[in-house]
Amino acid sequence: MALLEVNGVSKSFGGLNALTDVNLSVEQGTVHAIIGPNGAGKSTLLNCMIGLIQADKGTVQFDGKSLHNVKPYDIIQRGIARVFQTPQIFGELTLLENVAIAALAYRDGRFKLNMVEPPAKTEPVYDEAEHFLEDVGLKEQIYAEARHLSRGDKRRLELAICLAGHPRLMLLDEPTAGMSRHDTNRTVDLLKKLAGRGAAKVVIEHDMHVVFSLADRVSVLHQGMIIADGKPEDVRGDPKVNEAYLGGAHE
Amino acid sequence: MSNALFLQLLTGLQLGAIYALIALGLSLIFGTLGVVNFAHGALYIMGAYLAVVLTDQIGFIATAIVVPLALFAFGVVLERGLIRRFYDRPHVDQILVTFGLALVIEEIAKWIFGANNIPYDTPPWASGVAFLHEYLPFLEGFVVFPQWRLILIAVSLIVVFGLFALLQFTRFGLVVRAGMREPEMLKFLGVNITQRFGVVFGIGAMIAGIAGVFGGPITQVSPEVGMQLLVPSFLVVVIGGMGSMTGALVAAILLGMALAFTAEIAALQQIIIYLVAVVVLLTRPRGLFGKKGLVE
Amino acid sequence: MSGRTVAADLRRDNFILLAFTPIVLLMPFWLQLIGGYEALATKVVIWMIFALGFDVLLGFTGFLSFGHAAFFGTSAYVTGLMLKHVTAEIVPAMAASFIVILILSAALGYLTLRRSGIYFAILTLAFAQMLHAAALSIFQGWTGGDNGLTMSTRPQLFGIEMLDLNVFYVAAVILVVMFYVAQRIKRSPFGLMLRSIKSNSMRLQYTGVNVQAYKQMAFMISAMYAGLAGSLMVIYEPYVATKFLHWSTSGEVVIMSVIGGVGTLVGPMIGAAFMMFFENVVQAFIGEQWKLVLGLVFVAVVVFLPGGFMEALRRLRNRTTGAPGSPGATAEQPAE
Repeated sequence: MALLEVNGVSKSFGGLNALTDVNLSVEQGTVHAIIGPNGAGKSTLLNCMIGLIQADKGTVQFDGKSLHNVKPYDIIQRGIARVFQTPQIFGELTLLENVAIAALAYRDGRFKLNMVEPPAKTEPVYDEAEHFLEDVGLKEQIYAEARHLSRGDKRRLELAICLAGHPRLMLLDEPTAGMSRHDTNRTVDLLKKLAGRGAAKVVIEHDMHVVFSLADRVSVLHQGMIIADGKPEDVRGDPKVNEAYLGGAHE
Repeated sequence: MSNALFLQLLTGLQLGAIYALIALGLSLIFGTLGVVNFAHGALYIMGAYLAVVLTDQIGFIATAIVVPLALFAFGVVLERGLIRRFYDRPHVDQILVTFGLALVIEEIAKWIFGANNIPYDTPPWASGVAFLHEYLPFLEGFVVFPQWRLILIAVSLIVVFGLFALLQFTRFGLVVRAGMREPEMLKFLGVNITQRFGVVFGIGAMIAGIAGVFGGPITQVSPEVGMQLLVPSFLVVVIGGMGSMTGALVAAILLGMALAFTAEIAALQQIIIYLVAVVVLLTRPRGLFGKKGLVE
Repeated sequence: MSGRTVAADLRRDNFILLAFTPIVLLMPFWLQLIGGYEALATKVVIWMIFALGFDVLLGFTGFLSFGHAAFFGTSAYVTGLMLKHVTAEIVPAMAASFIVILILSAALGYLTLRRSGIYFAILTLAFAQMLHAAALSIFQGWTGGDNGLTMSTRPQLFGIEMLDLNVFYVAAVILVVMFYVAQRIKRSPFGLMLRSIKSNSMRLQYTGVNVQAYKQMAFMISAMYAGLAGSLMVIYEPYVATKFLHWSTSGEVVIMSVIGGVGTLVGPMIGAAFMMFFENVVQAFIGEQWKLVLGLVFVAVVVFLPGGFMEALRRLRNRTTGAPGSPGATAEQPAE
């Protein structure tokens, strides 16, 4: 059974059909890319997976259990993590605190009235946070305020935050958007390094180079429908895909 | 229609009129500038106090023209000098500064005029009652209504129509409405909406000033009146839907009606607005005409 | 928690507490040296408790409430009614207040916290005004309406009459304890969650945290502090006015917190002392206009020095030690 199963998902906003009968299957530990021209519905699909919006029809199942009407924080607690198009981090807090929050959420669950914890019990959480920051290459700046980071570093911080939740599935919404070539390469390297960790990844990407470096499988979304699904090499040569990208749709 | 019912409707309209004017200004400013103006009640009393002072000097008609213009100018200056600095700052800071402003204005009023009500008499030619039964055939017998309150209703209607006409039919209004919907898009198109913010704020202040000039005799004129009117006006905006002018208008009229029809039961009348707000909040959080996701 | 371990932070907090405690306990005495009077010290302490709790909400989560008078006033009325009709002992009276505030804050929190900060500010103002209106009308029989609630006998603590310095020491001890509690909250995982709400509540939501629950708790905790202050106020002076429920009382705690320095715990307490001093001592010199002056100071602080008095101190310290605000080095007090 696949880790994440999207079956027959449809979603419309007003009169606009954002998604129509989308089927997708993500296996454990794999990297699954979703590509497609702008407006194809990629973000909508991701938002359905993370509980930000509810599909009109069809189901999204994680680990065999439906995600329908499950609160976003519960979805995260089940083991899904999300990276946003514009890196979402806690700007006023230090890097260490940023990751510690995620580690605490993992340790304590979605809510814990934890007002008088002895320092001895909290220290390990900060140690763990430090390790994650080390993993993503941000060890030097752990006491810096997060808002001072460059975009590329904010992305790394965000990845560290996600990792601290020990997710089994990570949803990455255009992780290299707005990045220079240099930053993009560094991010791809980091993602490759983390690939071995065991979390499956769903990556929305525009950058084909990134897709072909990372993906085990690619789904192509066009006007809300999956028009191709398979190994990267297969999709690359698919005439339908080429038409979608070249035939009037803008990148 | 019975006399009593008609009078209650008329009263409701009159009660709602002042809230409508204040709420429209609030809604306009919030919808365009994104600022919640806690000083709006203070602008109202500024209008009222100015009216009291000037009426003796230059007569009421002139006052009714000068005061709104003065408030407009004041609004523009306020936006340019103070409010503008806060667009990039967190919402909390915006609220704090306008709240502080309200406080300062009220304290100045207290300093100059004292903390008690000052008398604001309606001009002699409008102080009597209108014999409604002479104009409206469906009324039987003897039906009167205070002239001034009718004038208030009339003025409010004029202002409301004027505002809507401004927004619907002028280029300025078009830009403002577009800015209320999609501020990012406007920037894209190269339209500088921030330039117009001063004018928008000025208009909001002007409307509050008009409300003060015509509503003053009814609500009394003292420093506390500002905040006393502001709270229900806020709720009117919330009930109508933040950022919706139509909503504010409808909700204001509804409030006026609710107040008129509960006039017999004083205790209920005091809290009816809050009860309605609670019900709306629980059942339709975005308000009657509010857009989803505007304030979560 | 920036640049230090949790243990080090706690040590620093303890040091501040250690310095703070004697200052508070000796207040009746040193206050007189600067023109104050003994009884003023009790008022200062009471407002410090109020401001402390308010800071937990505004300073940590960033939610601005204009309705905390609802808790202050309601608690005062409940304690007052208990003292008047049931028992002169303050412990059960305060306990009754505690329970009422628990319920009231749970309900109000539920109604107002679902939405953004703007909505929240408006709604808290509105509901507090509703209670104020109700106290004057529906509940007039209990509250005494415009005249307020007066008690004829002195409250007691285990038989000891609550007079003058007795009241002060009860309030002062409570303040010290509540300050310690607030410090611990700030350094705790719970406190960290609250501060992250202010920073990026969406990110927090998508990190698996039930943001709503934390907001609710923060709100209720700050309401408790306000309620505690209200109880003590009526023990200090056996009279409850409807003013206790008025928005101006809510406004006062907002002003003192901002002037003092939101988010620092110590700042709002200093703000409380400052405001009480201004109202009771400075007024003798500049008369009725003290409130106008305070209002102008408040606006000036919001425009030019949003971090309040504590920020002014910080800037002064940076200037004297020659350390400009660099990313890694500052952040003595996280999150304003």
